[in-house]
Amino acid sequence: MANTYTNLRYKYWPDHIFGELLQKQWMETVVPLLVLVITALYFSSRIDNFISISNLADTLRQASELGFVVLGMSLVLIVGGIDLSVGSIFALCNLTVLYCMNVLQLPVGATIAIGLLMGGFLGGINGFLIGYMRMRAFLTTMVTLIVFQAVHLMLNFKLAVAISSALPDSDLWDFIGSGSILSIPFVVWVFALIAIASHIFLTRLRSGWRVMAVGGNRRSAYNVGLSVNRIVALSYVASGVFVAISAIFYASRLASAGADTGKGLEITVLTAAILGGIRLGGGKGSVTKAVLGTLIILLITNGLLRLAVPAGASRVILATILLLAAALDIRWFKNRHKAVEEFYVSPSYLELPQLAPDATGPASAYALNDRLRHVETIGLGEVEAPEDVILDEEDNLYCGSRHGEIIRFFAPDYKRHEVYARIGGQPLGMTFDDKKNLYVCVGGMGLYRVTSDRKVEKVTDETNRSWLSVVDDSRLRLADDLDIAPDGRIFFSEATVRYEMHEWPTDSLEGRGNGRIICYDPRTNKTTTVLRNLIFPNGIVISSNRQSILFAESWNCSIKRFWFDGPKAGQVEFVIRDLPGYPDNINRASDGNYWLALMGMRCPAFDLAMRKPAFRRRMSKQLPGDEWLAPNINTGCIVKFNEQGQILDVLWDEGGVNHPMITSMREHRGYLYIGGISNNRIGRLKLDGADRTFVSSRHAYV
Amino acid sequence: MFDALTSAVSSAFNRRGSSLSVPILDGALKPNNLLEEAPVLVERKGLEDIAVSANGEIYVACGHDVMRLAPGAELRPIARHERDITALTILPDGVLAVGLGASVIVGSPDGSSANKPVVVNHVDGQPLNAVTALHAAADGTLLICDASAARPYSEWNYDLMEKGRTGRLIRYDRAADKATTLASGLAYSFGAFVDRQGRTLVSETWRHQVDQVEGGKTRPIIPALPGYPARIATAEGGGFWLTVFACRTQLVEFVLQETDYRREMMRTIDPRYWVAPALSSGIDFREPLQTGSVKQMGILKPWAPPRSYGLVIRFNDDFIPVYSLHSRVGGRHHGIVAVAQRDDDLYVLSKGAGRILKLSASRIEAVEAAEHGA
Repeated sequence: MANTYTNLRYKYWPDHIFGELLQKQWMETVVPLLVLVITALYFSSRIDNFISISNLADTLRQASELGFVVLGMSLVLIVGGIDLSVGSIFALCNLTVLYCMNVLQLPVGATIAIGLLMGGFLGGINGFLIGYMRMRAFLTTMVTLIVFQAVHLMLNFKLAVAISSALPDSDLWDFIGSGSILSIPFVVWVFALIAIASHIFLTRLRSGWRVMAVGGNRRSAYNVGLSVNRIVALSYVASGVFVAISAIFYASRLASAGADTGKGLEITVLTAAILGGIRLGGGKGSVTKAVLGTLIILLITNGLLRLAVPAGASRVILATILLLAAALDIRWFKNRHKAVEEFYVSPSYLELPQLAPDATGPASAYALNDRLRHVETIGLGEVEAPEDVILDEEDNLYCGSRHGEIIRFFAPDYKRHEVYARIGGQPLGMTFDDKKNLYVCVGGMGLYRVTSDRKVEKVTDETNRSWLSVVDDSRLRLADDLDIAPDGRIFFSEATVRYEMHEWPTDSLEGRGNGRIICYDPRTNKTTTVLRNLIFPNGIVISSNRQSILFAESWNCSIKRFWFDGPKAGQVEFVIRDLPGYPDNINRASDGNYWLALMGMRCPAFDLAMRKPAFRRRMSKQLPGDEWLAPNINTGCIVKFNEQGQILDVLWDEGGVNHPMITSMREHRGYLYIGGISNNRIGRLKLDGADRTFVSSRHAYV
Repeated sequence: MFDALTSAVSSAFNRRGSSLSVPILDGALKPNNLLEEAPVLVERKGLEDIAVSANGEIYVACGHDVMRLAPGAELRPIARHERDITALTILPDGVLAVGLGASVIVGSPDGSSANKPVVVNHVDGQPLNAVTALHAAADGTLLICDASAARPYSEWNYDLMEKGRTGRLIRYDRAADKATTLASGLAYSFGAFVDRQGRTLVSETWRHQVDQVEGGKTRPIIPALPGYPARIATAEGGGFWLTVFACRTQLVEFVLQETDYRREMMRTIDPRYWVAPALSSGIDFREPLQTGSVKQMGILKPWAPPRSYGLVIRFNDDFIPVYSLHSRVGGRHHGIVAVAQRDDDLYVLSKGAGRILKLSASRIEAVEAAEHGA
């Protein structure tokens, strides 16, 4: 009863999705979005008409003006700096524009150009000092903040009267200040345009990527040949120009040259940027985040204003928010991978058929023996991690190695070997086609082919993406074993889509159907997923009826049959459902039956743990990986079974002296060759009464 | 401040806290292969305890028999009991004391009637249940460890998994034929000792510590051991040998916190296959395995999490560990439960392997000195 509940709970509640979501880059934008929604909801519940059409237009107008400055600040932050002088630059630009417009009566175009130049020039001073003179951003911009402010005060004192005594007579100028298109303020249109352009610049253009690169790691950026100094300097110029744009709109709207203009702007802008999720350390940030941050800050300031919070108090609130956001920012970036780790592993409920206490007793089909104890060894200490072995017509032996190579041992004595091909990833399952091309599943890379003239070619490394998967499952992460159907289609297993090859113990801890079987069709050059949600699908072999494959589901301790052709096409059925161990590769025996490698044996304590997902989840969180409970894979076992799934023969290396964790075996001219992914040797065992003409690389249907 | 806060939060939520950490083998406990490489003197099923008499005779408890170790490593039976012997010692006057689980028999070694055997089976109104260790103090009194009131000695792993706290340390005064409880409520008493200064020690196995017993109270004098301490034996030249029958693992500590899993494991699984320390391991594939214990390139790493381990620690008079003897993961000489020293010869009983090993104390000390001098 309790088990049924646990079963249903883990079957239908998608635990694994949380960790997968956390891993996504866009999750960092979701947090400020949530904050924005919560802020909006809070204030609209406290204030009547907080979000009304007229109010919205006004809010957007302010947001756009502020948004320009936030964009500039974001750019500087992304490059890894900070610009505190935005407030003074804003004030000076405002004054300049008003002077040009009101006093000098210059045309609007010229005024805007002069305003932008002013912003660029002031930003350029920061840029020169910080980029080329290598001064500290914080100190430098603080100094320029004070200097620019002093200049502004002096000029303002002289010009304020002149500015306020004259009014420009320009419709265009008025339109910039308060005009609307489609009842949306002009400034919002401009901001939207510039924001989109900035987004494209940062995410799609080479120069934007360089900006991100400099922020991400200045030294590396320098080492790859980027002109770091120039990029840093230009980011301050850009910031100055963005501030100038904002000041132009401000000037056209209010036409006020107050001494307080732009005061405290840097705090508001910084808070907005950091609330939006732009990293203080540089290298991370986006336009979306800047916009979200701006909206949040504006809602808060407007909301506080409407709630009649005293000005001092609202600044304290803003400063507190800035402090909290900065602290959170640092904690999050430091611990993000830990958080992902905590959430990512999500064990499921897996109940295996009860294992009889005498499942391997003398009377059972799996009666213990030591027939694998005294095998001949090939390449002892010369080969590492031969997951699969195969022999060609000339009896040469091929195996993979963890150095990403395919090694060939030469017949007849297998004393000499050479690197047959270099692939770069761990070769797993292998098979020859009729033209002596060697097809290989490569962990982390996909399906590859070594042609008969030893050229390495990629066959496929992606399949169709499933719509409901959060993890991008179009790439092949752990192609494991394969076989070729009579019509040339290649069926191969991908053990898990959630983990990399070396993380398979974590997948064993999850015990969820993370794997799939994929078909590559050489006629159309298309790769499609044919079966999903399999529990670590591993070995694959084309059945002798030529219409189905037999495949092993490792953590499920079972062998299944999938009909890819014939009247039962598309159906899956059990062949063996109660193995005493974890099945790996399956290959054909000379007598028409199948050899199956058991990489490890079930043990009661682990079986019990598989029925306790919460226990495993806590274990994965509280213990380091080396301390986790694992399937017992220090024992070697090979069994032979027939089409109906009856066990015909069993070979043991109890205690795993020569062959712990057997992952594959091939019968070839009267011998059985044995490989293991954690082993440093290949075993060879003479089989009594086996067909001496049987070649492992020849297909049953040929 | 943030760190302090987060660590407080994580401990409240039972996350990766210090509660699951296990002391590491370092300093005087630095691993070596002295036990693993030690010559095997005797190999026999059922070896349990070993004791040395005042005149230098070595006695061994094995199954139902008490045997004397004759020259040439031959074991000669001298007394046979009806049950498995669970503890053995020899009083200063040469009288044998034998623990039989629920009783202690004190009598002459050859069974002669000069001293009529005395049977102790009740102390302070409570029957003895699991006598795990006997120690003969120099003043002729006998210390009896009655490790658990709930489980017999053979079911020690149940007591661990049930977090047994019912162990007693008892003093039996032969002259007055009177037994008194020195300490009770112990988390498995599996070894007792009275040192040269007359201080009484007891191994409190499930708490991974050795306690000093004084006036009915205990206090940990050797805390935070990396394993499960067992019997204690006198060392020549002061101090004592502490046997540690298995090392702790984080997984076992974790399972001890997991009540639901632990209960179902005890109910449904054969104790040989529990997630629990063991006297020997690696024989049966139904034993649980930890990820770090997976053989890589044909080798089981000696630093893998130990399901079983061989460890004897030499302490000096000040309860400071001086050096230690090891048989590491993948070795055979695990589950050390008893040690006896006669002059330079050190006899180590590995219950896990069913062997008695013989080492030379002076050679070990020379090796250790060279190691630390270098």
